[in-house]
Amino acid sequence: MSDQQPIIETVDLTKRYDEFTALDSLSITVHSGQILGFIGPNGAGKTTTIRILVGLLKPTSGTARIAGADCLTESRKIKRLVGYMPDDFGKYSNMRVGEYLDFFGAAYGIGRRKRIVRIDEVLEIAGATYMKDLFVDALSRGMQQRVAIARTLMHDPQVMILDEPANGLDPQARIDMRTMLLRLADMGKTLIVTSHILPELARVCDIVAMITKGRLRAFGTLDEIMRDIQQRRTFEIQLVDHDQVDRVVALVESWSREMNHESEVTGATTETMVRFTTGLNDREITPLLTHLVGSGEAIAQFREVPTDLEDAFLSVASGSHGGDAPQTQPATQEAAS
Amino acid sequence: MSSAFNPVVQREFFGIVRSPKAFATLLALTITFSIAVLMRWPTDATVDLSGVQSIQVFRVFGYGLLAGVVFLVPAFPATSIVNEKNAGTLALLLNSPLSPLSIYFGKLAGVLLFALLVLLASLPGAAACYAMGGIDLKSGLGLFYFVLLLLVFQYATLGMLISSYVQSTDAGVRLTYSVIFALFFLTLIPNAFFPGGSGVMGTVAQWVRYLSPVPVVMQIMGQGGLGSKGLITSPGNMQFILFTLVSSLVFAAVTISRLNYRIFDQSRAQGVITDDRGLVARLLRRFLFIVDPQRRKPGIPWYLNPVMVKEFRCRRFGRSQWLFRLVALCAVVSMVLTFAAATSVTSWGTETIGGLMVILQVILIVVMTPSLTSGLISGERDGGGWELLRLTPLSSLKIVRGKLLSVLWTLLLVLMATLPGYLVMIYIQPQMWYQVNLVLVCLAWTVVYTVAVSAAVGSLFRTTAVATTVTYVVVMSLFVIPLLVWLGRGAPFGFEMVQRVLLINPVGAALSVIETPGFEHYNLLPAAWYVAGGFSALMFLVFGLKVWRLTRPV
Repeated sequence: MSDQQPIIETVDLTKRYDEFTALDSLSITVHSGQILGFIGPNGAGKTTTIRILVGLLKPTSGTARIAGADCLTESRKIKRLVGYMPDDFGKYSNMRVGEYLDFFGAAYGIGRRKRIVRIDEVLEIAGATYMKDLFVDALSRGMQQRVAIARTLMHDPQVMILDEPANGLDPQARIDMRTMLLRLADMGKTLIVTSHILPELARVCDIVAMITKGRLRAFGTLDEIMRDIQQRRTFEIQLVDHDQVDRVVALVESWSREMNHESEVTGATTETMVRFTTGLNDREITPLLTHLVGSGEAIAQFREVPTDLEDAFLSVASGSHGGDAPQTQPATQEAAS
Repeated sequence: MSSAFNPVVQREFFGIVRSPKAFATLLALTITFSIAVLMRWPTDATVDLSGVQSIQVFRVFGYGLLAGVVFLVPAFPATSIVNEKNAGTLALLLNSPLSPLSIYFGKLAGVLLFALLVLLASLPGAAACYAMGGIDLKSGLGLFYFVLLLLVFQYATLGMLISSYVQSTDAGVRLTYSVIFALFFLTLIPNAFFPGGSGVMGTVAQWVRYLSPVPVVMQIMGQGGLGSKGLITSPGNMQFILFTLVSSLVFAAVTISRLNYRIFDQSRAQGVITDDRGLVARLLRRFLFIVDPQRRKPGIPWYLNPVMVKEFRCRRFGRSQWLFRLVALCAVVSMVLTFAAATSVTSWGTETIGGLMVILQVILIVVMTPSLTSGLISGERDGGGWELLRLTPLSSLKIVRGKLLSVLWTLLLVLMATLPGYLVMIYIQPQMWYQVNLVLVCLAWTVVYTVAVSAAVGSLFRTTAVATTVTYVVVMSLFVIPLLVWLGRGAPFGFEMVQRVLLINPVGAALSVIETPGFEHYNLLPAAWYVAGGFSALMFLVFGLKVWRLTRPV
């Protein structure tokens, strides 16, 4: 999916407003064809980063480059390279969708004939062909998002930056939006997508950047971030009889002591289940199952409770993963490769 | 605050008073009134027993206060309901146990209380005028404040009525100021040409004149009714009071009747265009419209500035069918006026006709230009379009050019439409062609001047409603103040003073060139052109710099 040259690269990107630091030494690298999910609570610095990337904001220090062009000094190049869809739709009254796209096409210097063809193409990609003659200010939120995607595509940008594209959409529209993002990635576009709806991002993103209070807390593929953040994993042992629960709790605790590893073990008699959290990896945990079976316990299931992007994000946002300390970037290079 | 107190009044009034704008307005008004009185305050030790001096001071103060009420009061009611509707809070209010009546009167009381503060700020000035003697407390100062209170009530109810119909705050501001401007000035024009009240036209003109507060205020100021002749002076105080009260009550009743679900009951435009309709509908539309507004538009050609086309397309009034209607109306009015002069239906001379045409055109320019221009930048910033425009490779120069051209073309079309009238005038009196040429140059400068001021002032504000309000106030001040000073020619203002003030805009020059009665003695050319040119260049520079700054990364 990605080649060797990074298409987006920020180095120590910092933005300060007097005493307030909106963005603090952000360094990320994204390669061509990747979808980067940009996650953070409100006011984390996501939009600040995006606005610097598209040349709307001037960084206090650091550099940002897209396809080799400096986002600050080569803004004309950047405008051709990037398609930005802000959270705010930017509607014009009394204008039809076709006229709206025609205006932006003309503003990007696309010739009239090519523009007429292009309008139909982008509307088709965005699934908005039927909206061509509708008035822009009469569109619903979901329709607006589609037209905004079409507008962003008009000049065929290499990189697309979408700020909260799933915001305010109903479940069906979210699914459609996800499909559309994957389609854009298939077309070879590099995408940066911010969203509060984390499961949406988890399903489409190749890499994820988590940012809080202006600082990058985690960056890499979802698996890498999980590995890094979720150093303690939760396992569930499903038993057959209720009277097994206390015995198995004791067995797990004694085994953990033997392994010199601290585990939190809890038993739920009504569920005939034992849960424990541990920092052990797959290789280290395997002997526990052998130990339990060897002790004569009947085990119905032995499974790891899956963690998702939401858990990881909450872990980062709550400061359990390093708090305000400089984040670890487990996979900056790996994600890039 | 007790629970019996209407919570809407509390929110509206304190909401207005707390805003820095309101504080600045009150402060500016108090200072202006004080300065106006001090400027005309007698400096010598002689006692003026005739009361002429105090009347002169009172006139300056009174007209200033009247202008203050006309410019400032409408801004608040014009946005009051539409703001709530768009913010979603009107739905919450209507869903509360508050009745539409208490919501309405709560809002109205908020505006009226603020207007009362404005009038209170003027009381020290009024007291100073009264202290000089020569002004009757009941028929002078008392009647004047009563007229102002009535005006405030009328403008507040009118603004709220308009606010209940429009869909955006800037549309509310635009429409309210246009209607008030029409009530204030346009109503005076018929009487100026049918003075004395003889015949049906004269009677109608006389009644239309009662809609404006100007004749009543002039009467109070001891200047006689505007347009009155000899002994037939009839300012129509009672008629004005009656009309103002009745119209205010009607405005209030209609607005209250709209404060229910109906105010939200509007479906989204379906966007069906003519090309997708049946054959009969297609033929009918093409027959009825000169330029079918619902037709499918072609792409923007390479030789046109896309920003200019966008401005035309996204403005309801900018659309071709509206422009054609306006141009046709202007052409017909100018032809009718000149025809009336040519067939000697009236005793008007070509100078009077020319003066009337100039005034009508100026009113059209002053009403239209801030509406078209003030939101050029703030409208984009309000709607989120500015960010998108910044993302395109369009240079700030191209954006400025496109936006200004969209306004200039519209206004030039309107000006061109009146050319037939001037041509007929030249045909009647061939020796007037030189004067007409000079008038047209003056009008062209008026357009450029108004566009420059409106664009520069409007670009300084972030929200369209504020930009539109301030632009209207500034533009109207630039055009009304010289006229008010001209009305006070002889006393309290001398010839030199009036001539200097008339140079503020090119309209005085146009009226003097065409020898409109009262303007014929002033020599304003070419100085008026230089002033207009210099000031316009400065304003365009401000506008350009503002756009350039807004397109830069910050």
